[in-house]
Amino acid sequence: MHLLVQSIGFGVAAGAVLALGAVGFTLQFGISNVLNISYGALMSVGAFLGLFMLGLGWNIWLVMVIAGLAVGACSVVLNRGLITPLVRKGLAPFGLVIVTVSAGIVLEYVIVAVAGPATQTYGNRSGATLNFLGWTLTTAQVVIFAIAVVLMLGLHLLLTQTQLGRAMRATSANRTLARSCGIATSRISDIAWFMSGTFCGMAGIALAITIESFDFTLGSIFLIPMIAAAVLGGVGQPYGAMIGGLVVGVASSVSSAYWDPAYQSVVAFGIIIVMLLVRPRGLFGSTTATRKLLA
Amino acid sequence: MANLAYIVVIAAGAYTYGILTLGPDTGNGGFQQYVLGYRLPFFVAVIAAAAVGAGVGVLIGVTGLKRIRQDYQAMVMLVISIMAATVIGAAPSFLGGEPGLSLIPNPFSNLSPTTGAWAYVAMVAFACAVGYLVMRRFTSGPMGRALRAMRDDEHAAAAMGFSVIKMRLLTQAVGGAFGGVSGALLVAFIGGWSPGAWAYVETLALLTAVIVGGMGNDFGVSLGTFVIAVLLLQGVQFLPQIRSHTGLTEAIGWMTLGIMTIAFLWLRPQGVFRERRPRYGQPAVGSAGGGEVAEGRS
Repeated sequence: MHLLVQSIGFGVAAGAVLALGAVGFTLQFGISNVLNISYGALMSVGAFLGLFMLGLGWNIWLVMVIAGLAVGACSVVLNRGLITPLVRKGLAPFGLVIVTVSAGIVLEYVIVAVAGPATQTYGNRSGATLNFLGWTLTTAQVVIFAIAVVLMLGLHLLLTQTQLGRAMRATSANRTLARSCGIATSRISDIAWFMSGTFCGMAGIALAITIESFDFTLGSIFLIPMIAAAVLGGVGQPYGAMIGGLVVGVASSVSSAYWDPAYQSVVAFGIIIVMLLVRPRGLFGSTTATRKLLA
Repeated sequence: MANLAYIVVIAAGAYTYGILTLGPDTGNGGFQQYVLGYRLPFFVAVIAAAAVGAGVGVLIGVTGLKRIRQDYQAMVMLVISIMAATVIGAAPSFLGGEPGLSLIPNPFSNLSPTTGAWAYVAMVAFACAVGYLVMRRFTSGPMGRALRAMRDDEHAAAAMGFSVIKMRLLTQAVGGAFGGVSGALLVAFIGGWSPGAWAYVETLALLTAVIVGGMGNDFGVSLGTFVIAVLLLQGVQFLPQIRSHTGLTEAIGWMTLGIMTIAFLWLRPQGVFRERRPRYGQPAVGSAGGGEVAEGRS
């Protein structure tokens, strides 16, 4: 019983990082309608930027914010310089996936060229151990969880309470209609890519803190549980991705407590395949954003 | 649909060949573990690899049957290929786990290394030629026409009485058999196989070959493969190694590959050699099909 409680605690902590990443992935897809596979590589870029800045002796949480914003900027450049022109040229969605895969690999090997292929670490930054409701968690895990909660709440308020949020939701639901209502959809797209990149970079730092050692493949390995979280909640649905992140995090953590931890990612994989075959639009996918997925 | 999980089929062929020729895993000092372990002759193992490749291809094809968006499907395929490598790597007693299989016998091991290597090249060249001819028969015959029709307009093809599901799975099986054989030929030459050998970047190499050569053109794809595999991936090894930067030359190779793919999709999405539309007979003047035939000629 204690094992179960403890593994759920770890799962929630891991799920917070997952949700952070999955929300960024899904938000950008919902608005710009492009599946961005280079998201994982951007995450590694964030982690390595963080490593560089930590080397300058900066505070870790400050680094998280700055690296997040920097990856956000990278993400906008990727959209403006590569994705938007190709969409305008009429490249099919499948071609766009290949483009983002290639862009991701280029980014990954830029990291190798600059920082080398070796395994890196931020050092032990987990801080003091806290006991709470029978869970034993590190300070870092709790802080990351709190950051994730604050960001999710912020996103919720942005989407529901502001003019920008309404414009984003309108763009996601029907781009053409939104544009004819006077919404500058390409600017909304840029904002979505920026926010997605920021979430991605911050998730990259959070992940690097929690798993302690990483190399340039950090993000592309983590992409699978993130995709699972996004698919579970319905791709394009930010709220779905939050819940999906928690579910995938807890499910993988509990399964690795009772089963060989090496198979942890199999749970995420199983979720993707089952959702795909049974309900491709995801648990909460009833809006147009997810209906677009069905051919 | 292009299959981003194709590397899994090649890997399946390679592993099949490995476990069918290595003999029991207690031999060679028992440092590696795997299932089965027979000492079958080369050709039997290659045929078995083709069969397993076809089977795995069909399994992957089943997940592609669901009618969802192309790009979403591509993402799932990518996930399948990454996951397959992870699972095989995590199970040390199934197919050697992360270290993989090694000491896989070469059919020409009784010749001297140089002669053996050239004999192998000759055999693979022969296999390629046979494969090319078989593929040509397949794509230019009635089946090929049906497949082309299905790709261009699935509903129209279905209305003509073709079973789309059956044809899709058949394509997967044929593609899988080719992939299985290629995996077996590869592994018999290099002698070892591990999850690291079929990471998803290798899938990109295959895709680049197809995109550079021109989708739907057998000759173009063969040429594209030659350019990618020989010039780019092996060519970087001849660049001077920079002592302080380990892995830099590989990184340059992969970066070139990625940039090349993007550049081709940007500048010339049809590839170097575009797909040639087959011409059927003389154009009947004034008939409905006339426009299409005339377009094919221009």
